[in-house]
Amino acid sequence: MRAIPRPQRWDSPFDPNMTDADVNRILSILPFSEMNPDDFPPSTPLHGILHNDTRIRRYQSGDIIVREGDYGDSAFFIISGAVRVVLDGLPASMLGRLEPKRKTFLQVLAQLWRNPKEPEVRHTSRDVDDSGVQARGDAGSATRIFLQNVPGVLDAHNTVQLETGAFFGEIAALGRVERTATIFAEGEVELLEVRWQGLRDIRRRNRTLKEHIDALYRERSLKTHLLATPMFQHLSEDEITEIANQTVFETYGDFDWHTSYQTLAGESAASRLAKEPIITEEGHYPNGVILIRSGFTRLSKQFGHGHRTKSYLGKGQHYGFDEIVHNWRRGNDGGNSAVPFQYSLRAVGYADVLIVPTPIIEKFVLGPDPENPRLPKELLPPPVAVDEATEENVQELTHPEVDEDMLELLVENRFINGTATMMINLDRCTRCDDCVRACAAAHDNNPRFIRHGPKVGNYMVANACMHCADPVCMIGCPTGAIHREVTGQVVINDATCIGCSTCANSCPYHNIRMVEVRGEDGDLILDQNTNAPILTATKCDLCIDQLGGPACQRACPHDALRRIDMQDGMKSLSDWINR
Amino acid sequence: MITFASRRRRNIAILVLLSVLSGIVYTIYTLSLRHPNFISGWTLFLIMLLLALYNVRKKLPFIPLASSSSWLQFHIYAGFFTSVLFLLHIRFRVPNGTLEVILSILYLIVFSSGVVGILISRSVPARLTTRGEEVVFERIPTFQRHLRDELDQLVSHALSEAKSAAIADFYANRLLLFFAAPRNFWWHIAQSNRPCYALINEFRALNRYMNPDEQELASEIATLITTKDDLDYQHAHQALLKYWLFIHIPLTYSLLLFSLVHGVAVYAFIGKI
Repeated sequence: MRAIPRPQRWDSPFDPNMTDADVNRILSILPFSEMNPDDFPPSTPLHGILHNDTRIRRYQSGDIIVREGDYGDSAFFIISGAVRVVLDGLPASMLGRLEPKRKTFLQVLAQLWRNPKEPEVRHTSRDVDDSGVQARGDAGSATRIFLQNVPGVLDAHNTVQLETGAFFGEIAALGRVERTATIFAEGEVELLEVRWQGLRDIRRRNRTLKEHIDALYRERSLKTHLLATPMFQHLSEDEITEIANQTVFETYGDFDWHTSYQTLAGESAASRLAKEPIITEEGHYPNGVILIRSGFTRLSKQFGHGHRTKSYLGKGQHYGFDEIVHNWRRGNDGGNSAVPFQYSLRAVGYADVLIVPTPIIEKFVLGPDPENPRLPKELLPPPVAVDEATEENVQELTHPEVDEDMLELLVENRFINGTATMMINLDRCTRCDDCVRACAAAHDNNPRFIRHGPKVGNYMVANACMHCADPVCMIGCPTGAIHREVTGQVVINDATCIGCSTCANSCPYHNIRMVEVRGEDGDLILDQNTNAPILTATKCDLCIDQLGGPACQRACPHDALRRIDMQDGMKSLSDWINR
Repeated sequence: MITFASRRRRNIAILVLLSVLSGIVYTIYTLSLRHPNFISGWTLFLIMLLLALYNVRKKLPFIPLASSSSWLQFHIYAGFFTSVLFLLHIRFRVPNGTLEVILSILYLIVFSSGVVGILISRSVPARLTTRGEEVVFERIPTFQRHLRDELDQLVSHALSEAKSAAIADFYANRLLLFFAAPRNFWWHIAQSNRPCYALINEFRALNRYMNPDEQELASEIATLITTKDDLDYQHAHQALLKYWLFIHIPLTYSLLLFSLVHGVAVYAFIGKI
């Protein structure tokens, strides 16, 4: 047995080269100069946050700082200089992405004789000269993509300037949502990049920054989010504004859940569940409706000495409304038949939630009279079952069509993150490998998945990219090569992938592989400086360029393989399982 | 998403309808003194040709020509429909000409291998999840080799440490053969563990001649025997899933070839009919 110092939060600073002098300089700049260090606890002092959770980055004119559609876990503060926000979007090629393009029927047919015999042959040119962008720096995190013609971009696009002292990227960093605009450096610019943990702590302790970020969120996204929830759709704009003002934002768990995922995978189910932060606890007073803004949550109920998973909730779903409506209906009996939260809600990995307080729900959504609710009656949930939990009624509460073990496997392993999770019914799969051959045929004879993976009962979750709702693989790609298409698929642009392995290392499911690529002559492509083979990240692209969709699914003769969208409340999964 | 039961009901209904229609057309042709064999023969041949095209579709997975599953459904039910056409074509009589007999035998083998294939495809996959670690078919020889290497190490350990030939003799006489290749194919298909139990019992009977160290090694060897037997189980079932096609597909092409010869012969002698 070996004793080591207990791991501490700042064992791995964001930038090991950050000095005290740098921190003191930042502390002399507004708004940091106005922050009171006494507001911060001794365990996370402001100086420590700036020292360990930030880094200073310098960009040259035209350098792309963040790209529209990327996922990021950091925000930026402009120390000096100015940046430009492109409001109307840059072309995909300028962002290092693929232009969405499907093969024609003849091109599809030509794969029959054009597919190379050697593995991982690339036809595409690696040059990006014609796209209007160029790369500078070496492979790795130092690589920067810059716009070659900044004046041209300014002329052709609608942009706004952000100057010294402005923050940007904070909503995407804290809300784990896509960056909404591309931002590039206009001239020399010095930025302070703050990773999300630091931003969270500063926001928590500093009222000014909290108000700034909350106001931005309330202004830009909250109303849209509320209006997307059916219970608020019948309300007036003033009422929505009032609800938005009363809504509380909370983040649970760890944005970097993918780094701890593998460690937790070795632990028991109970241990993993115990480490999931509790958002609401079974038996507690329902103090509000919890709307899931991003991330995933698990609904579970105490059973024996453990917890049984009832369901999972993701972006756009909510919990607590049933209990609140139940109590509102019985408001006149002095609370005798009031019910508490029926389930515990836990963050699986991380969850960003909005809490709309109960009085607000009762006032605006339900109204004063239970006989005459403001909400259309068809949207009112049925009364909550308040019986004691027995084997029988817990089974009823569990999602009726999906086996409990299956649900546990999907939630524990976070396969619920998938929008196209490859599932195989092993009772129907004849192991013919037609799916693997079809995948290879559609990808220049290179299969992009492995017919292998964790099993529960007669189902297997195969090792294929799930095109996650929370694509952690996309965080940190220096060139934007891995990106999400408008149609939802997460794809890699071979031409701009520099083989840094960031995405492959981040993917918690090991569904991205680094491969040595070959030229059309079949020879390995080598780095002219080191003579080492050039690597490229590869994964399933859901046959984005093929006619007819995923070849694996279409090739299965026995309907054994299906790409399942886990974001629709298990409907697709349940429909498929119960075919 | 249409359920499997609904799909089956729909397809059976279509099959029954087409079979009845074929019977009606055949009767009308017969009653109107026209020869129904030309229409039944050509229809049968064209459907068989379409059935054979499924294998071509499988080789072209990227072509958007309906899913493989839809093709298989057509393949199964059109396959059953050919049996109706075949019976009408031979007028429910046993053929007597050499060519016709060969053709009929080929048809019956292809048809029955298809039926057996469906039964295999529907029943065997579920068995694979019930026993042993599932190994990709092509990797079974590698796993088998690893097991044999482990066995060799244990046996040489027994020889050098225990200085007794009890395990080594059994290895030479029984285990070497058992571990050399997949064994007991039909026993596994019949879901019987009898050969494995017999082998392990025979091996355990040697315990009385072993010292404690040897007994410990024997226990490890017994585990290896069970693992190998599980691997054989996987091999037998996966082989069955693959190899029935080695009868069905080549004979389909032979059937098509003989059907062509049959057609040429019919048209060559058409004046004499």
